[in-house]
Amino acid sequence: MTQLTPRMKNWIEYFGGHIGTATKRGFPTTIVVETAKVEGINIINFPLTDAQINHIKDNISENPQVAIGPGGLGCVRAPYQLKGTAKINGKDLTVKVNEIYCTKPGPEAGKRLDVMPYGEVEEFDQSHWKDLTPPKE
Amino acid sequence: MRLTDEMKDALKVVGKGGVVVHLTTCNADGKCNTVGERFITVVKDKYILIADMFAQKTKVNLQENPIAIITVAHPVKDRTWAFRGPTTCLIPGLPPDYEFHGLNAKEVLDEWGNWAEKEPPDEVPPDIRPPVCMQRGLIAMKVEEVYSYKPDESGKKIL
Repeated sequence: MTQLTPRMKNWIEYFGGHIGTATKRGFPTTIVVETAKVEGINIINFPLTDAQINHIKDNISENPQVAIGPGGLGCVRAPYQLKGTAKINGKDLTVKVNEIYCTKPGPEAGKRLDVMPYGEVEEFDQSHWKDLTPPKE
Repeated sequence: MRLTDEMKDALKVVGKGGVVVHLTTCNADGKCNTVGERFITVVKDKYILIADMFAQKTKVNLQENPIAIITVAHPVKDRTWAFRGPTTCLIPGLPPDYEFHGLNAKEVLDEWGNWAEKEPPDEVPPDIRPPVCMQRGLIAMKVEEVYSYKPDESGKKIL
């Protein structure tokens, strides 16, 4: 089962994400949510404004597939991409993460991490990064 | 539609005072892909170019669904912009007169086809700098729409 590492959790919670959505025929709309809360091992809740709900509700209704790139400095220092299925729960966008990719530029760009045993994903994180938590900006 | 001077000033490499962006594409069934990109510039006031270096799924998506969104990711500094429009990959080998929505492929590939030499990623910290920059072409967007992604006005038309 897909599981976020502590580093992924820390960065996505602190910086939120750029959330790619689309109609079922592939017309994209991206929103940016500046914070998030991870629940359990693979659920992320993004608090939405009314404007954001109005902006993506039709897309999510007809096509719950979303892709998430960490926001702010996370786009550089936390090069992960999370893909999953989303639904709007009240004022939150709740995403169940199903796929995790490394997007670090270089030979590992596009490497799929969630298919590895969880222990190996943690080792991957620890061998690549020293900053388990983001710097306070 | 022409991008503003402020937008053009932001959409360049971080080493020259620009930004890192997220590029979102999706396949024909609407499955999205959102990845960060560093090599970026604006040409002729309405086209955004990004180096095609490690874009794998992006390229597959654009081949079947040639539209994308670019969002300013870092540093934002109130530049909460999302750019949307037809997007393609310009690859060396295209006919010299090939044009994408009025953009000549040869002209931009001649200028931006070896981006790492033109604007080396010197400002990128060693642990996230690509060991080798193997550029395969350019991702080109003709911007047709700019909207705000500011949380309280997400989707508001800017241009």
